[in-house]
Amino acid sequence: MARRYDSKTTIFSPEGRLYQVEYAMEAIGHAGTCLGILANDGIVLAAERRNTNKLLDDVFLSDKIYKIDEDMACCVAGITSDANVLTNELRAIAQRHTLQFGEPIPCEQLVMRLCDIKQAYTQYGGKRPFGVSILYMGWDTRHGYQLYQSDPSGNYSGWKATCIGNSSAAAVSILKQEYKVSETDLHQALLLALKVMSKTLDMTKLNAEKLELATLVRNDNKTEINVISVEEVKELIKEHEQKEAEAEAAKQDKQSGSGKSSDK
Amino acid sequence: MAVPGVCLQDFPLWSGGPTPGHFYNFPGNSKMNTGKSHTMYPSTSGTSVVGLVYDGGVMLAADSLGSYGSLARFRDVKRLFKVTDKAALACSGDIADYQFIREVIEQKVRDDVCGGYTRELNAGALHCWLTRVLYNRRSRFDPLWLECVVAGYKDDEPFLGYVDKIGTAFEAKEVATGFGLHFAVPMIREAREKKQNLSCDEARKLLTECLKVLYYRDCRAHFKYQLADITPEGVTIHDDLNLKKETNWEVANYISGYE
Repeated sequence: MARRYDSKTTIFSPEGRLYQVEYAMEAIGHAGTCLGILANDGIVLAAERRNTNKLLDDVFLSDKIYKIDEDMACCVAGITSDANVLTNELRAIAQRHTLQFGEPIPCEQLVMRLCDIKQAYTQYGGKRPFGVSILYMGWDTRHGYQLYQSDPSGNYSGWKATCIGNSSAAAVSILKQEYKVSETDLHQALLLALKVMSKTLDMTKLNAEKLELATLVRNDNKTEINVISVEEVKELIKEHEQKEAEAEAAKQDKQSGSGKSSDK
Repeated sequence: MAVPGVCLQDFPLWSGGPTPGHFYNFPGNSKMNTGKSHTMYPSTSGTSVVGLVYDGGVMLAADSLGSYGSLARFRDVKRLFKVTDKAALACSGDIADYQFIREVIEQKVRDDVCGGYTRELNAGALHCWLTRVLYNRRSRFDPLWLECVVAGYKDDEPFLGYVDKIGTAFEAKEVATGFGLHFAVPMIREAREKKQNLSCDEARKLLTECLKVLYYRDCRAHFKYQLADITPEGVTIHDDLNLKKETNWEVANYISGYE
């Protein structure tokens, strides 16, 4: 039975699968949603905040979005303690590079280094993989704005828009339809992120307390990574709802204008 | 206990602990207790390297001599090499150490190109990396006996830097090693006082003049040399240049009493 091949990461199953890695990805499928969108002039990361207990002391501005380096930030989905270990390592990798070369690490190189560590945990050592998927947003002189996603298998790829965590498949299909390559600017990307979040999160109305939004832009040869404040998120939600209402109204007009609405 | 060929280490009482009759390396210490000693002097060595930034690029020059003490042993040693399109490196000091670090750097560049996930090494990154390497080696009492000049471009700005065997590193608009520091750098500074931004031809003339003076005055210098010109377009290295014809030894005829 498949059960016999589950427990160790370091062995294949007869069908050629690594069960532990797949189970790790399962764990992430239950975690809070994170999505990232690449715009012409910046990058947006949006995350669902699950710890909304009133008693929580707000030591951290954000519990899913972390700044790694001057030009890179990431958003995690999965086991939080695993994520802490990995974000710490990401920061250390970035600083080690800057110590050696006196300049910031290229985004892809940082992602690749961490993914090599993640992959090691799927091949040897006998330890379980990290139950974390990470979305990275960054800027460098090589490729400009970049968005990467890595998962417990140690695989990574560059994306124009993607989603991890709960209902990520649904979110990705919405993004596929709605995202316009090279026609999206930062503001449109923010609104698109809100749109996708509202459709995939199991809440009827978007709540600023339940969302974390962060942007990365380049201004005057300096990268600005900004976690958007609750007030600004509220403004964006208002704008998003307004646009939705307008779109609904336009659709109603079109239906009634065509004169075939009574076919039902 | 006195069985021949069998020592106490074949029957470990505890792993990693002190063994009677042997030196014990305390944990956390560097390898300084092994009693091994590293070579602390150069054998075949190269003399000065001179570099300057001009309007439109950076220029580096070094002569082609490998001296074995006072013997002018190898007269076509290439001490200057192109690292990437944005950086060139020249070293004075031990030639073996230079060749070693050159191999390491060339492999590093190859790895970067093959990996495809990082950017081409530029002069600033090379300078920083070399500083860390040389400083760490000296901190282990195993130095690479070199004085290096890194020339090239860093983020569209011309870059010229110096690193030496003890890890001293700095950037400047004119840099030299060895005797060059005493002869060439003042010459370049004097020329710059008259004209801040030198053109390519002026820079080349100045550099050749510096090497000529060094050939006259430095006993370990030679008239064959290499010159590298780094511009935003790339690195050009001129090999097998010869300044013998430009030198004037007429004064030798007037010297008597030293036969």
